[in-house]
Amino acid sequence: MPPPDNQAAIEEACLLAKAGAGDREAFRQLYARYGAPLLSLAVRLVGNVGEAEELLQDAFVKIWRNAASYDSHRSRPFTWAVTVLRRTCIDHLRRRRHVPFTVPLLADTPAQADRLAVDPTRLAAEAREDSERLHGALASAPATQRRALELALFSEMTHAEIAQCLEQPVGTVKSWIRRGLIELRTTFASFPQ
Amino acid sequence: MNTHLEELACLYVLDRLDAPESASFEARLPHDPELRALTRELEDALSRRIHALPQVEPPAGLLAGIEGRIDRLSAGAPARAASPAWASVARWGMAAVIAVGIGILAIQSLRRPPASAERPYLVVVGLDSLNSRLAQLPMPDRPGSADASFIRLASLAERFWEKPEDMPVKLDPATQGGRGYALFDPGSNQGFIAIRQLPMVEQGKRYHLWLLDTASGQVRQAGALPTAGSASGLYFFSVAPAGGQRVDRLDFFITSEDASAPDSAQPHGRVVLGDRRI
Repeated sequence: MPPPDNQAAIEEACLLAKAGAGDREAFRQLYARYGAPLLSLAVRLVGNVGEAEELLQDAFVKIWRNAASYDSHRSRPFTWAVTVLRRTCIDHLRRRRHVPFTVPLLADTPAQADRLAVDPTRLAAEAREDSERLHGALASAPATQRRALELALFSEMTHAEIAQCLEQPVGTVKSWIRRGLIELRTTFASFPQ
Repeated sequence: MNTHLEELACLYVLDRLDAPESASFEARLPHDPELRALTRELEDALSRRIHALPQVEPPAGLLAGIEGRIDRLSAGAPARAASPAWASVARWGMAAVIAVGIGILAIQSLRRPPASAERPYLVVVGLDSLNSRLAQLPMPDRPGSADASFIRLASLAERFWEKPEDMPVKLDPATQGGRGYALFDPGSNQGFIAIRQLPMVEQGKRYHLWLLDTASGQVRQAGALPTAGSASGLYFFSVAPAGGQRVDRLDFFITSEDASAPDSAQPHGRVVLGDRRI
């Protein structure tokens, strides 16, 4: 299988390889790229900035320790890092036995948005537009698919728990997740990188 | 592409396949360009969804905190000794101790077809007081080093510990007493043993782990289990290489041995988990 096929992924795979060999500067560059999106995901998963920062630290320590095991044939570097972070967050959530019954969908609540230390300079106009278009596209997707995908991505629920939450069989939930993610892919196919 | 493969790709990207499904999917990827392209596109979509979240900047000092932890870990990391050696890797919540009933052991091995010589496999053996079940877990590639093998094993062992339902071997939930599983890499001769609810070690005794080749009857000692008053834990071990071992004929068991006796190449104490009469 070929290595990652876009420039960012190639660079990040190299950074991971260097970090795996003990290159601290490569690790810092990786942190500069992934810190904000991973912390944003952690905040979304655990709903608390303080805990999210702790979990981000845990995840980056794991990334450092396991960087040498990253295999570019299996996934993109960012997907791998997301997996490390999600597992860290999910372990934490399950330890504290927190099982949310609902997960906010597209728009974050004003209260949550207020708590987030959003750096406006970080959000370039292009990214905002991208986000708005994404939200618009997602809003137009069937609510069931949207909800199943968001629960799969932004909660620690198992498939069985999502099925219970949505009052559907597990097979239907998996099908909705598939349709939701395929729809997302189609939406982004028309977006500039 | 059929919807089943699409669904697998979606669940893979979302890290929602169990370990065998994930390994199977990864084994398929190199040979299916269409599936590979779809998977990459799904990964890109997922990445952009995450970047579309309200972005939260890490506070200044967080990186320094991470690097400080890394430095402390590096300074305190024990060197992995030559076999047999133990390292307590992790301890999670201690389960209540339930007396182990060692009864007549019925072996129900879930043995799959023998692995081809070039295909790397991990061996997973589920152990309880009544059963020993073995499965081979195909790996997409061979780790480049013992450290890489260690990391892969540790990751899987931790996952099975947290999510026993992901294990490729199922133990009867009705069975009372101790239980556990061994995850072993025949290529690097190292592995993890997880135990839950073993009886507390008696005064003057200690638990030893043994690896058994059920085809030849050869027993290898994997060391004394540093249970230190706990009945549960996940531990790393490594054993001396053995020539001609059959990965589909491996089993593990734990015995209670005299702590004062010198290490022996053969077990003498009673079996507290698993079976040696195969």
